[in-house]
Amino acid sequence: MISLRTDLPLGGDSASRFIPWLVAIMVFLGILAVSGVSVFDTILSGWSRAVTGTITIQIPALPADSEKEANQARTDRAVTALSALPSVEAVRVLENTEIDALLAPWLGEGAAAGDLPLPDLIDVTLADDEDATLELIRTSVATVVPDAIVDDHRRWFEHLIDLTEGFRLLTIGVALVVTTALALTIVYATRASLAEFKEVISVLHLIGARDIYVASQFAKRTLASALKGSAGGFAAGAIALIAIGWLARNVESGFLPDIDLGFGFWISIPLVSLFAAILAMVTAFVTVLGTLRSMI
Amino acid sequence: MQIFNQVETSNHVAAVELKNVSLSYDDGPDVLSNLNLALPPGSFHFLTGPSGAGKTSLLKLLYLAQRPTEGSVHLFGTNVTAAARRTLPAIRRKVGVVFQDFRLLDHLSAFDNVALPLRVAATSEPEIKSNVTELLSWVGLDEFMDAKPAVLSGGQKQRVAIARAVVNRPRLILADEPTGNVDDAIAMRLMQLFMELNKLGSNIIIATHNEQLVARFGFSRLALSARTLTELPPLLASDASGIEYTADGAQP
Repeated sequence: MISLRTDLPLGGDSASRFIPWLVAIMVFLGILAVSGVSVFDTILSGWSRAVTGTITIQIPALPADSEKEANQARTDRAVTALSALPSVEAVRVLENTEIDALLAPWLGEGAAAGDLPLPDLIDVTLADDEDATLELIRTSVATVVPDAIVDDHRRWFEHLIDLTEGFRLLTIGVALVVTTALALTIVYATRASLAEFKEVISVLHLIGARDIYVASQFAKRTLASALKGSAGGFAAGAIALIAIGWLARNVESGFLPDIDLGFGFWISIPLVSLFAAILAMVTAFVTVLGTLRSMI
Repeated sequence: MQIFNQVETSNHVAAVELKNVSLSYDDGPDVLSNLNLALPPGSFHFLTGPSGAGKTSLLKLLYLAQRPTEGSVHLFGTNVTAAARRTLPAIRRKVGVVFQDFRLLDHLSAFDNVALPLRVAATSEPEIKSNVTELLSWVGLDEFMDAKPAVLSGGQKQRVAIARAVVNRPRLILADEPTGNVDDAIAMRLMQLFMELNKLGSNIIIATHNEQLVARFGFSRLALSARTLTELPPLLASDASGIEYTADGAQP
């Protein structure tokens, strides 16, 4: 059990009083930043998995219903051509229900079952992701179905991934700024306390106190104040995350990917609070040691 | 008193030694000039001199609140002027100081103020409780252990300051006017405490203006005047009457 008894009247000084509030705000922002990074990481990871090694081929529908069999024949020809290629691992024609699910966010349920001339979609899994392979596929499919569209996901996903990566880096930057701001403010608050208690510290020195004795008292008191603040910041951050999650679930599914942040994320949130408190404590300790070095 | 044991001393090394010590503040004139002194272990001295003679400055050099501008200060054989900063706390723990303005910590009780030197030395709490309680009782403050300095009289504060200075059995005790705010009965009791500690091996230096006190106890004198230090023999009681310092510090 750590004793919080101090020989310095810490906690009552003006600089120490705002430490819990400061830490609470920083922890709240830190939790949002870490959540942002986790969300972007999850989205990027999901998209990368989805994009890497797959392409989609659209076989446009012929205009008339009577040509339903001809449509099927065109799709079969494309599947046969694709299956013959050594660089293709798997070929699968999407079911109508799957196409319906893809279109549902835009056209509503049952769009594929209506009269719309929807293309057949062929999901192709590649053995490699080389440009030469894609070119070979384009040529092979065009030979049997000239108007087939080879949809390389990478083209438009790469822009989206770049954008998301940019947001992710921005959020990491925010987290670093928050951390730096917390440390600098603790330095300022600690120096203000040292100035306020200069006389008391002088007496402690003259009766034989080592710098580390004084620094430990500052560190313990700062840790206690910071833990109070980080508990508040954690509570506010948790409420904010629950609210954001609730809002996200209310958005029509399909526009946003399902995001499972995983166990690691939920462990990292309380760790953010703990990290802020420990950072404040260590910063106060180091600041006191550095400042006292200039005293006799 | 049972709480005090014999302090470890060496008969071969001066407890306090000043070698050509001078002190000035902020490039001003010398407050102390070329002082030389060697006090053997277990000595008891009164430090006398008029106001402004530099008694407090000399004490500051001895309790390591100042470094001399020139020369060196040696405590228990260690040149503290050249000592590394990190070694000073261990030396300071061997020196007990009664400040003229007490310098008690206002937010702490009398008990906690007296306990400070023991706490910084990581003494166990049961031992602190036992020693501090006994010492405060001895100086007549057993009913004021929980009182903060703000509610204590000047004399009571002085006794707390003295208790704090001696509680860790220092090898050197420096007291700046320790009987200045107490009545005769308490003054005698405090002097008895200092003598008791002296018998157990502590060096005592008491800075005072009180000639009656100096004469009554008959210890050697260190007289500071005109920035220089002179070791004088004990003042006889018959000499004390009528000796006063004039405003400019000269003895008539």
